[in-house]
Amino acid sequence: MKTLIGMIKNNFVLMVLILLVVVFICAYPKKFLSPVNISSIVRQFIRLSLFALGPTFVVVIGSMDLTYVGIWMLGGILVWYVSSWIGPFAILIYPILGFVTGLLVGVIQVKAKIPSFILTLSITVTYWGLTAWLSGGYPRRVKGFGFITASLLPYLPVALLWAIPIMIVAVFIMKRTRIGTYFYAIGSNEEGAELSGIDVEKYKILAFTLSGLFTGIGLIILFPLLGGSAPTELKLGSIVDPLIAIVLGGTPLVGGSGGPERTLLGALTFAVIQRGLSLTFWKPELIQLLLGLVVLGAILVGARKLKGMVIT
Amino acid sequence: MPQNEAPLLEVRNVRKTFDSVVRALWDVSFSVYPNEIVGVVGENGAGKSTLMKILVGVFPPDSGEMYHLGSKVPFPKNPREAAGRGVSLVPQEKGVVMHLRVYQFLFLGHEDEFTSFWGLKTREMKRLARDILKELHIDCDVDSFMYDFSLPLQKLVEIAKAILTVRLRCKDPDITPIIILDEPTAPLAVEQREQLFEFIMKAKKTSSFIFVSHIIPEILNFADRIYVLRDGKVVAHHDSSSQKVTEEDIFKEIVGRSSSEYLYKTATSSTVRDRVCLSVKNLTKKGYYYDISFDLHEGECIGLFGTAGSGKVEIVRTLAGSMDFDDGSIVVDGHSLKGMEASYVGLKYGIGYFSGETGKELFLNWSIARNISILNLEKILKWNGLVISPAEENELAEEIMKKLRIKAPNPQTECYSLSGGNKQKVSVGKWMEKSPRILLLEDPTIGIDVGAREDIYEALLEMKKNGIAMILVSDDPKEYLLLCDRIAYIKSGRIEKIVSPEEFEAMIREE
Repeated sequence: MKTLIGMIKNNFVLMVLILLVVVFICAYPKKFLSPVNISSIVRQFIRLSLFALGPTFVVVIGSMDLTYVGIWMLGGILVWYVSSWIGPFAILIYPILGFVTGLLVGVIQVKAKIPSFILTLSITVTYWGLTAWLSGGYPRRVKGFGFITASLLPYLPVALLWAIPIMIVAVFIMKRTRIGTYFYAIGSNEEGAELSGIDVEKYKILAFTLSGLFTGIGLIILFPLLGGSAPTELKLGSIVDPLIAIVLGGTPLVGGSGGPERTLLGALTFAVIQRGLSLTFWKPELIQLLLGLVVLGAILVGARKLKGMVIT
Repeated sequence: MPQNEAPLLEVRNVRKTFDSVVRALWDVSFSVYPNEIVGVVGENGAGKSTLMKILVGVFPPDSGEMYHLGSKVPFPKNPREAAGRGVSLVPQEKGVVMHLRVYQFLFLGHEDEFTSFWGLKTREMKRLARDILKELHIDCDVDSFMYDFSLPLQKLVEIAKAILTVRLRCKDPDITPIIILDEPTAPLAVEQREQLFEFIMKAKKTSSFIFVSHIIPEILNFADRIYVLRDGKVVAHHDSSSQKVTEEDIFKEIVGRSSSEYLYKTATSSTVRDRVCLSVKNLTKKGYYYDISFDLHEGECIGLFGTAGSGKVEIVRTLAGSMDFDDGSIVVDGHSLKGMEASYVGLKYGIGYFSGETGKELFLNWSIARNISILNLEKILKWNGLVISPAEENELAEEIMKKLRIKAPNPQTECYSLSGGNKQKVSVGKWMEKSPRILLLEDPTIGIDVGAREDIYEALLEMKKNGIAMILVSDDPKEYLLLCDRIAYIKSGRIEKIVSPEEFEAMIREE
């Protein structure tokens, strides 16, 4: 019990999360705890975390990966294309596309030394263009993946059960393997990492590749969960929301600390905020404004805690 | 130096401590007369930069007095106020804004004086810029971008900017500007330095210069007076017009140790083995070093000794893979290395690089344990190298902490909270555990206290005994005596002679 309290004390985001849950329960006791609300929080949590887990690897090494939206959009239309030939196996397009994209981005980033933010943004815009071209301009629904998201218990989607192993593997890689350790090293002090005999370029490519792969695997679940089709229009929210989950959880964009477990916490907190605020009868504009302020506050507090790091 | 007239600027009994513990300056008195070049030398951490920063108002001293043209004035509160009294600083690095045009850079920060309703008066700025460049005989186009210029030319434009700043800020038009040059030659190659010196000698007719450096020969060559700082005190003050000082005098004053301390080395049997592990032949990097050749044996330590700027640091950096070379070869155990091969390639063949520059190779937001294990992951991996074992990681760190007497509550203590000496010990500890074939040491004990030094020397000597070969570069002659089996004396980028520690000791003592 004591360690539990200590853990909560040391973890600002966890404190915020608990506080928010308490506030929302007090304000809307029936609505917040209703099965419908819980299940939509869970859905939102799965959406945010599966999109954000991959990029977390890249953020830890001090770079940025925005290709997840591009992979989502282009992959959706490719699945639609090939599903007439190979049926349900078409969904495997996602991990393949994710892996290839990640590898490509990694190699370009390391060899051409372009800022990863711009590089991955332009890849996403390129994929958007390809998607619009291939789809003819409107989303294409693909059926037949319902088994992935069927309800296990009432309101509790199977998707959560699929997502949990992915989350565990991500945390495991970062916390307990050589790869994860090297990622933290590169983000914390790139020169030092090189002096310690780490092939920095190789591990940077690996981070981008893993990021793409995790996004692709996550999309196997997300594609049916989000309606069996991918959007053909690029929306700001789909780019920004996963990033908020990462930063809110406490992985600074300068890299070197944080990690997937924090991203999960950030995703859950953000889902609770979003769902909780939508229970109010406030105007959507006001809710948007509050969301922005919450994120700003979280980043300010997070930045203060970065010790031994140069914040740029 | 005209002693009869009042100095342009004088400070008396300046004291400054940081965090009320670290004594940066203690009773320092210092003066500058018109049209002279004042040299300030000292080791890193001797207080040179602190003194300069006080002169330009970056921070205030704890106590002391300042006199300007003979009358007492308060210390400046900021660089702008200092410029009003004629003092301006050219920073060591990062002073140039690369993406500005020359005239924009020259007037950076003075735009207010050139603003009209229609925006900046660029024509007038360019005219004034041309005037000052012509006056100082700097040959460049005011419309060019700063990044188009060579390093020395950039430095000259920076000096012009400093002089211009004084003229624009100072109400008295006849004042002689005092330009502080903080290690201006550090990034320059030997030939490029000449260009800078020539310029300063010419500019001396209208300005005074304070020249901060730790390269002794260049200070001796053209400073009118020299202050030697050590541990925050002025330990010597030379007037080169009245007395003859030698390089060795100043060297001794900077290092500040009596000869008896050089006898420290304990007579140990040689650890040098027969096998050659590194062979360097005719290694040349134009402008830095030429024709460097030596064989390094297992268990041997070769010292590269010379003044700062002699090229010794560049040789080690080339071996570490962070610098290119033009000619020659580096062979490690039969494998020939190319220049600029990243450090990890070198480490594959067993070359480790350890620099005393704090934080360069540590991961400050990590625990001690992780900082040590990052180099030694293969020792603590389980499940076919898949999983890191935290227990073994801790054990490894505890062992090292005990051996090196690292003072910290436990292996999980994060490194940013450690003192400089303990940080250094963590770095040494990880190399000790790794035990590479060859370890390159660059100022391994710089800026740390005596106790921590001894612990680090002990560790390094033990590594040597285990057959690890080392190459040492340092500012401290004592270190060479303690660690090295052979010492290469490097002068202007060439090995002049290779001596034994005994000969080296004699060399230092007689000087």
